[in-house]
Amino acid sequence: MKHSGWNRCLGVLLVVGVAVACSAPPSDARFVETAPDTTTFPAVAAMLIQSCGSLDCHATVGRNLRIYGDTGLRFSPTDVPSVLIPTTADEITQDYDAVIGLEPEIMSEVVASHGANPERLTFYRKPLGLESHKGGTIINAGDARDVCITTWLEGSADATACKNALSLP
Amino acid sequence: MKRATLALLAVVPLLACDPVHTRAVDALGGETPGVPRGPLHRPGQPCLLCHDGAFGDPRAFAMAGTVFQSANAVTPLEGATITLLGADGSTQTATTNAAGNFYLSTSEYTPHYPVHVKSIVSGGKSIFMQSHIGENGSCAGCHADPSGPDSPGHVYFDITGTPP
Repeated sequence: MKHSGWNRCLGVLLVVGVAVACSAPPSDARFVETAPDTTTFPAVAAMLIQSCGSLDCHATVGRNLRIYGDTGLRFSPTDVPSVLIPTTADEITQDYDAVIGLEPEIMSEVVASHGANPERLTFYRKPLGLESHKGGTIINAGDARDVCITTWLEGSADATACKNALSLP
Repeated sequence: MKRATLALLAVVPLLACDPVHTRAVDALGGETPGVPRGPLHRPGQPCLLCHDGAFGDPRAFAMAGTVFQSANAVTPLEGATITLLGADGSTQTATTNAAGNFYLSTSEYTPHYPVHVKSIVSGGKSIFMQSHIGENGSCAGCHADPSGPDSPGHVYFDITGTPP
């Protein structure tokens, strides 16, 4: 009797295990991201390049958040950092894809809610010091970098804030 | 006590056998013949790779590198003064030696990243670094030769050109 109960339990576990292991989303299922604004992103990109995109931080190919730009990692194999070739359109596109590709579902939720609770995004929590970040606290609540990012997540980046962010230490 | 010794014996080989670090050090090659280990050795190499303080020798550097005279040659620039500006507002200076090397040990300097190279001054002229140093105290960690999409090449002082 004891063995019978145990066998039944094992059988149920086996069935559940197989069901879980074999369950997969349909192959034609697609997640459509509600992506943030592309028009004002170049100003955000300039801020990211300046504050995050040094060659020993996010301007390295091994990073999930990989930032290309004029003073850091170059996208074209013929370009070199800091050699008077401004950040290219391709680099800005790469930066945009890197940012929105980190946590697409959460990014969608934040953008859909017009930037509410941006701290849901790791991309925002880390530089703000809310989560461990090897590069330390890069953004202080309310400063130009903060306004640049949060207004972008709300719908349209504040160009003045993004420009002012470039002069922050 | 016995358990602590055993734990130490287990951890030390693990630290010593980091294959990534070993490969990176091996890739640097041997010493240049005629140049002994010391302040003039290995110009242009990533100093902190070995000067990391592990096992006490060689001594740990906080920031170190080499300044050359031009982009196209590796002639050292002696007597250049490098001024570093930390995120906390503190500044620290260092001067290049006959090999173009400069170094700041961890007992001399604690960098507060991001650190900016506020200036490199030589012959009354001054340049600065456009981007900041995020976490790597070795100049050659980013400024490696040859230049390419992920490296501006070695640090050089060319007042007629762009800052390194």
